[in-house]
Amino acid sequence: MDYSRKDLADALAAEYVSGTMRGGARRRFEALLPAHPALREATLAWSERLMPLTAALAPVEPSGDVWRRISDRLDRRKSVGAGAWERLSFWRGLTAFASVAAIGLAVLLANPRAVAPPIVVVLAATGAAASGAAAAPIVASISGDGTSLVARPIAPVALRPDRSLELWAVPTQGAPRSLGVLPGGGGVVALRGKVLAGADTLAVTVEPAGGSPTGAPTGPIVYAGKFAL
Amino acid sequence: MVRSPADWTERSHDLSRLLARAGVGDRAAFATLYERTSPHLLAVVLRINRDRAQAEDVLQEVYVNVWRAASSFDAAQSQPLTWLTSIARNRAIDSLRRLQTQPRTRAAPAGEGRDSEDDDVYDTVADESPGPLDLLSRAAEARSLAACMDQLSPSQRQSVALTFFQGLSHAEVATQMRQPLGTVKSWVRRSLATLKTCLDAAVQGDRASGK
Repeated sequence: MDYSRKDLADALAAEYVSGTMRGGARRRFEALLPAHPALREATLAWSERLMPLTAALAPVEPSGDVWRRISDRLDRRKSVGAGAWERLSFWRGLTAFASVAAIGLAVLLANPRAVAPPIVVVLAATGAAASGAAAAPIVASISGDGTSLVARPIAPVALRPDRSLELWAVPTQGAPRSLGVLPGGGGVVALRGKVLAGADTLAVTVEPAGGSPTGAPTGPIVYAGKFAL
Repeated sequence: MVRSPADWTERSHDLSRLLARAGVGDRAAFATLYERTSPHLLAVVLRINRDRAQAEDVLQEVYVNVWRAASSFDAAQSQPLTWLTSIARNRAIDSLRRLQTQPRTRAAPAGEGRDSEDDDVYDTVADESPGPLDLLSRAAEARSLAACMDQLSPSQRQSVALTFFQGLSHAEVATQMRQPLGTVKSWVRRSLATLKTCLDAAVQGDRASGK
C-alpha cells in the first residue's frame, strides 16, 4: 500500500485513533508510523479531533498506590541508566515492532526457500551536492516477489537537522510513491506490500524534516537506482 | 478537572510547561503533572478496561512511558492532554488484547450473568455511570462539536459512541447493536468522515473569523 496517499492515511488513522483497528493491524500501523509522515500527520489530526471527546468523562481518582509504584519504577530506572539512555529506550520501544519487522524481513530475504532470489538495488549518489548528502550509496534489498524491501545507507548521511531523506518508488507511469523516511538520515526503511508494482526506479530526495509535506517529492533527488522485478 | 473541550486547550498551556520540565528530568514537575492529569486518564482507561486493578496497572505503564517520552513531546504538534489521552487509550486498548490471551482471573460480578447471548462487556457494568451516548452528548457541548454531532444519524452516533467510549471493536459493536458487521463498519466510517469534514470546516471558520 502507498501510505503517502492522503485518503488512505486518513482512513487508517481514523480507525486507529477511534479504536476500531485491532490486533495485528494495530501493531502494523504502529510499526509504520516512524517512517511514514503522512500517517503520523493524519494520526495527530484525528487525535486532536477525537481526544477532546473524553473531556466529558467524570474523573476517577487513582489509589495512592499507583503513584508509589510509578515513583519506585522511576527510582530503579534512575539508578540503572543515564538520562540519555532512557530517552533512547523510548525510541527503541517505539521502533521495537519495526525492528522485529525488519528482522523478519531479513530472515525472509535470506531464506533460501524463497522462490525468486532477492534483488539488490544500489542507489548511487546523483551529485546534487547542495543537499550535503554523502557520496556513499544507499543499498536496497527487494524480495524476489517484490513485496518486501529493506533500504539503508552504507555510510551515515550528513544532513542538516531540518532535513530528512525520503525514499520513493518511481513507476514508469504516474507519480512517485513514498516508501518512507530514512530515520536520522542513516536508518532503515522496511516495508511490505505492493508499493513497487509498476516501478522501475528507487529514488531518495531531500525533504523537510519528517518527510514531504505534500506526499509528492519536493526536494532534489540525491540518490537513484534502477531495478527490474 | 477537565469537563469540556474548551478547558482542553486552556489547561494545555500549563501542562506543556510541566511536560517540558519532566522531559529534562524534573521529578517534582512530573508529580504535579500526575496529580493534575491522572484522574482524567484513569477515567479514560476505565471506559475501555473496566477492571479497576488492571486499569491502575495500565495507568502506571502510561506514566512510566510519559516520563520516558516527555522530552520528545512537541507542543507545536500536539496538545498535551491530547497526547496524554492518546497514550492512555492506546495502552488501554492493548491491555484488552492481552486480556484475551490470558485466562480470566476474576469472576464476573454476581447477578450479571443473564442470557449468555447478551453477556458482553456492556452487561457487566453494574454502575450508574453515564452511557456512551450520554458522554457523547456531554462532550459535544462545545458549539462546533455539537453541531457536527447533529449531522449524524442516531445509529451512526451510537456506533461512534460505542467504539470510542467503550473501546469496542467493529465486531463487538455489531453484536451490541445487533447489526451486520458490514453495516456497522460503514456507519463508523461514514460518521468519522462526516465529523472530520464538519469539524475541519468549523476550525477554518473560527480561524477566518479571527478567533
